[in-house]
Amino acid sequence: MGISVSHLALVTGFLLCLIGVWGLLSNRHILRIIISFSLLDTGVHIVLVATGYITGATAPILDEALGPGAAALHSVDPIPSALVVTAIVIGFSVTAVMLAYAIRLYRAKGTLDIDAFTESKG
Amino acid sequence: MRRKIVNALAVLLLGAVFATIALAYQERQFLRPLAEFYVTQTPTMLGLPNIVTGILITWRGFDTLGEVAVLFMVAASVGLLLRETGETQTHSNPQTRPAGEIVTSGAATLLPPIFLFGAYVIANGHLSAGGGFQGGAIVASGVVLLLLARPRAELPLGFLAITESLAGVFYVLLGIAGIVFAGGFLDSRFLPAGQFGAFISAGAIPAISILLGIKVGAELSVVVDRFRR
Amino acid sequence: MSALFHPLNIYILGLGGGFLIPLLYRVAKRWLAPVFFLALTGITLISAVAFIRVLGGAPPFEVITAGIAPPVSISLRLGVAEGFFCVSVNVVSLLGALHLWPRLREHYGALLLYLIGVMGINGMIMTRDLFNLFVFLEIVSIATYGLLGLAGTTRSLSATFKYIVATVIASTFFLLATALVYFVTGTLFIDELLQLPQPLSGPIATTALLLLLAAILIELKPFPANGWGLDVYETAPGGIAAFVSVGVSAGVFFSLYKLLPLFGPWLDLIALSGGLTFVASNLIGLRQIRVRRMLGYSSVGQLGLATLALALLEKTGAPQLMPLVVGGLILNHLLAKAGLFWLADLVDRQSISGWSPIARSRLLLFLFGALVVAISGLPPFPGFWAKWTLVLHLSSAGYVWTIAAIAIGSLLEAAYMFRWFGRSVHAPANNGLSGVDLPRLDWRAIAPVTTIVVLLALAGLLAAFIAAPGSLWIVTPLIAGGMLALVEALWPGLPGRAKAALALIALPAIGPFLLPEMQGLPLLFGVLFIAGGFVVGLGALYRSETRTGYYPLLAAMLLALPALAGASTTLEFFVAWEFVTLGSYFLLAHGRQTGSQTLRYLLFSLAAAFFLLAGFGQFNATGGGVDLATLRSVLDGGSVQATAAFVLIAIGCLIKAGALGVHVWVPGTYALADDDLSALLSAVISKVAIFGLLTAAYLAIRSQSGPDLSILLAWIGMATTLVCGVQALFQRDAKRLLAYSSISQLGYIVTAIALMDHIGWVTALYLTASHLLVKGVLFLAVAGVILRAGTGVFTSLGGLGARMPVTFAAVLVALVAMAGLPPLTGFGSKWLLIGTLLDKQWYLLAAAGFLATFVGFLYMIRLAWSVFLGPREQKNANHHVREAPAALLVPQLLLVVGILVLTLYPSPLFGPLSQAIDPAFASSLVWQGMPLREIYDSLDPLPVMGAAVVLSLLAAGVLALVLRAQAPKPAGDGRDVVASLAALARTIPLVHRLPTATAAWTGVAGVTVAAAGRLRLIYNGNAQTYELLVILYIVAIHFLGWP
Repeated sequence: MGISVSHLALVTGFLLCLIGVWGLLSNRHILRIIISFSLLDTGVHIVLVATGYITGATAPILDEALGPGAAALHSVDPIPSALVVTAIVIGFSVTAVMLAYAIRLYRAKGTLDIDAFTESKG
Repeated sequence: MRRKIVNALAVLLLGAVFATIALAYQERQFLRPLAEFYVTQTPTMLGLPNIVTGILITWRGFDTLGEVAVLFMVAASVGLLLRETGETQTHSNPQTRPAGEIVTSGAATLLPPIFLFGAYVIANGHLSAGGGFQGGAIVASGVVLLLLARPRAELPLGFLAITESLAGVFYVLLGIAGIVFAGGFLDSRFLPAGQFGAFISAGAIPAISILLGIKVGAELSVVVDRFRR
Repeated sequence: MSALFHPLNIYILGLGGGFLIPLLYRVAKRWLAPVFFLALTGITLISAVAFIRVLGGAPPFEVITAGIAPPVSISLRLGVAEGFFCVSVNVVSLLGALHLWPRLREHYGALLLYLIGVMGINGMIMTRDLFNLFVFLEIVSIATYGLLGLAGTTRSLSATFKYIVATVIASTFFLLATALVYFVTGTLFIDELLQLPQPLSGPIATTALLLLLAAILIELKPFPANGWGLDVYETAPGGIAAFVSVGVSAGVFFSLYKLLPLFGPWLDLIALSGGLTFVASNLIGLRQIRVRRMLGYSSVGQLGLATLALALLEKTGAPQLMPLVVGGLILNHLLAKAGLFWLADLVDRQSISGWSPIARSRLLLFLFGALVVAISGLPPFPGFWAKWTLVLHLSSAGYVWTIAAIAIGSLLEAAYMFRWFGRSVHAPANNGLSGVDLPRLDWRAIAPVTTIVVLLALAGLLAAFIAAPGSLWIVTPLIAGGMLALVEALWPGLPGRAKAALALIALPAIGPFLLPEMQGLPLLFGVLFIAGGFVVGLGALYRSETRTGYYPLLAAMLLALPALAGASTTLEFFVAWEFVTLGSYFLLAHGRQTGSQTLRYLLFSLAAAFFLLAGFGQFNATGGGVDLATLRSVLDGGSVQATAAFVLIAIGCLIKAGALGVHVWVPGTYALADDDLSALLSAVISKVAIFGLLTAAYLAIRSQSGPDLSILLAWIGMATTLVCGVQALFQRDAKRLLAYSSISQLGYIVTAIALMDHIGWVTALYLTASHLLVKGVLFLAVAGVILRAGTGVFTSLGGLGARMPVTFAAVLVALVAMAGLPPLTGFGSKWLLIGTLLDKQWYLLAAAGFLATFVGFLYMIRLAWSVFLGPREQKNANHHVREAPAALLVPQLLLVVGILVLTLYPSPLFGPLSQAIDPAFASSLVWQGMPLREIYDSLDPLPVMGAAVVLSLLAAGVLALVLRAQAPKPAGDGRDVVASLAALARTIPLVHRLPTATAAWTGVAGVTVAAAGRLRLIYNGNAQTYELLVILYIVAIHFLGWP
């Protein structure tokens, strides 16, 4: 059958996730860490959407292209599409909070190097 | 160096986990019963063509309400974190340069269409791709542009706070109306479905959508504004 | 009305209230607090009403949203389990809000975050939709992120950032797993997921479930991927840390419970994760000196234990135990940990060494003690009943190593918790320095913690009722102590002696009721405990201090003794045992001199208790149940394979009795305790171990390997007697000498018990009674000496015989009785023992016994000589010394009368003793073909007595020659005698090894602490290390769980 569209999207999503994880683990700059998280999160969103794909289907909105009768056969799974909206908003929210913390950390020490923030240990 | 190797190993192992999924993945050919129910029944039951919106606002409206809460809490958290704490403000007051020519004139031309487009996306969420979140985000991006163009602009924060608060309260009230007049909490069918595809149709979904749009727009603007300080 | 209390309203209140708050802040500020508390109280009330309804048998509440049934819409459910979790979380949250109020009110954002966060936890518990669970998880997380920002210190900010990064990784994987689960199953409705026609299989499904599992486990902060959680516990305000530690964790934990059937193949993995976390974090907890971080380790550990219990109960098919075990553990953790975190806020000291100002407030100290007891899983709090039930169940299911892990982890936790408490019991001297006083606290600050402790006690009673409805009477000692404490609180000026009298009278007044229909051994020990405890306890009357808190504890501990004897089930026995342990611990801690000895005492006692617990578990596993009457019967002789049970219980009792090797806790404890308390500990409390050993011995008789074990036990007892007897010779302090003597004498009793027959046990009981009387006299006499002469060190004493004639006379009687000289009890009993050993043809043991008797004679002579006869170093130092007060003399005289009665009329005593044992040895009423009566009659003491006298004289002659040979100066100087004796004793090879017992235990402690130090290095404080551990944890779960 070869590589299908959604398969490609899925693999892309996973690759994005891996890039994000790599970034999380190896970037010392806090803003880069936050961006890495966004990459990871976006990767998951792509995977989420990809898994909702149905071969040869279109968006689940009834219009001229997708009549009520054809919907059952030619519409992608609407649930992942709905979930991903929520997931994106939540991802955004978390990013915003992290950024707010980054600002506070910078205010406190004048640096955004993650290695500078190891006060608690052991 | 050793750290790098361990990191690479961790990513590699995680890649192996993902690979097991990617290798076993087979694209679906048909909808499963639940999805099929949504696709075939949502238009008739809720009276709207955009099935995703139907799911978001009604069927899984509880999620959406939660998501609104998350956004709301983020606005509060950011406000709490970036409040004037009296600690050293030296880092936090960068020189505000006046915006460049392109940005200011771009903003002047683009802002009205952006806000209009946002409003359109919000209001037509039940008919075509779009909805409260998407439209709210567009409006907020307009606000970002505005703030870039006029760095000294003051947003009406009090008004925004009251707006987001009221939008939230009304959202909950609409949800309660669903209990009283229809099948349950967040059931949008307490208003008539109207004519399928018409601008005013699909029960309370457009109303909720608009509240969402207002709330998201206001909250995102507030968050952006807080980061500016 | 019913609509008003529908669980859906939790969300309407939470969100509606939350959304209103910014509005109110802008337009009506003074309504902020009322609306906030109204919403929070409403949430709590709604959950409580709903919980009570479902508890009463109503069907679970199904909350349908969007007017259509799931899976189309999201639904929530509130059944019994959900109701229990919601109510617990909400009550703690409400109290937490009261506690946190001064901080929460700083910013309206904090109010709405807290409110919606609490609602989110309810949502996590109630929702039946997997994705909705994710949404609620995020609601709770964001609330936490925001609230953690309240602290504002740099430490706290960077800790929170680590926390955020780690938890977002976990929740991102949760999201991925949810997407994959939906891809595989086509539904997000949890009920459908749990009831799929065939179990999920295939690579995608397996990966999805493992990712889901890993994400949930990480949110529970498993070792080693939990550094981010610990940092937050350390740096956040206590109230917020409590919210994270108990509220959020309870929500995540319930998610795990809810989804557990999905994880069927990986229950072992979950249990492993929980068990590892429990042991490792409690180990590292040992190294903590920062209060909040230590509480963090404890918190993480408690959740690990609950996880372990959850997984194993599921695996072994015992869901009926979940409410008591898992519910009990979680509730215990919830309440106690929240209370401790709040207390940490009130006391406001970073380091555990700075906590002593808490002792300025009796109430706070009491609350502190109660919380530490609760968190350590001790009775009467819910965690105890949960652990008991769990261990009993795991024993039956054969999870031996798991029980060991639970015991080790619990012991470690108790170690650092009680170390913290022990350092805080005595308020620092108020010398005008700053930092020695508590912050000013009004009732509003203290009310939440107080309420938590009350709730804990109630929950404990409830758990006790569920665990063993018939055993509630066992808390009687606590009630008596509590009432005395109440009297003390209401009437602070009450003199100490009045309180002592009340505490002592309670023993004979209430004690007998705790021994219903008892006969045989329990009755005998019950009478012994009541009478002995009362008489020896009378010594307390010589103290004139008010000793606030001491006498309520004394009453509780003394009453726990008859409760122990009156226990009819292993559970009751164990509870009473723990009460005695805790009571004596707190009494010791009350004294100013005990210091670190108290902790050592507690740890050895708790270790003993865990062996006991494991032993009772094994007994239960052999089909014996929990009935002590079954345990104490020999009817099914040999049929039950009870070796393990016996060995475990015996080890526990030997630790408690201070057998050789594990005796190291005894000398310091007895020496440093208050003088009247030492008497009680040595004379009365130590008999608890003997009672336990006798109880366990029935198992040995049944066990096939009984005979071998008996010989081993006999040797342990005799070695203890001999070595500790020699050790007593070396002591320079009267109380230490008596302490070693006490251990030594208990060794005899152990040996006698090891004979495992009728005559041996009669001997053991005779020795027990004798030891009680003798040690009571000696310790009280020494108390008098210390009171009058101001010291118990031999070199500073001497020649007091003339000044304290009554005391001297009593000591002489005791000396003769104990040293095994004719004609007093010690002689009779030791003769009985040695004679029986000879009859058994255990000649070596008999010889050792003989030698030990001689050593005993020597050190007793030394005691009498140094204190009463020999010269005192400083001339005329004695002129102020008077006879001891009557409060000390009266009990001594009563005990002396007891000794005389026991000596002159042994037969009336032998009767009851014999009868006490007879029900057990129904078959051995006839011993070696002779009826009992004849045996006693045939025992003609005279020949052996004569031989003993001759031998003693000979030995004394030899000793005198040796002394003369070694001493360069002429004899007559007390110090020379001592020095020579010591020189002689050094020639006994065993003596040189003596310090190794202490050294060995110090070594064990050192190795443990070093291991903890090694282990904590993984928490290097670096966010990226923590991230790496989280990722590796996810990967590890995947590969370990891969089929």
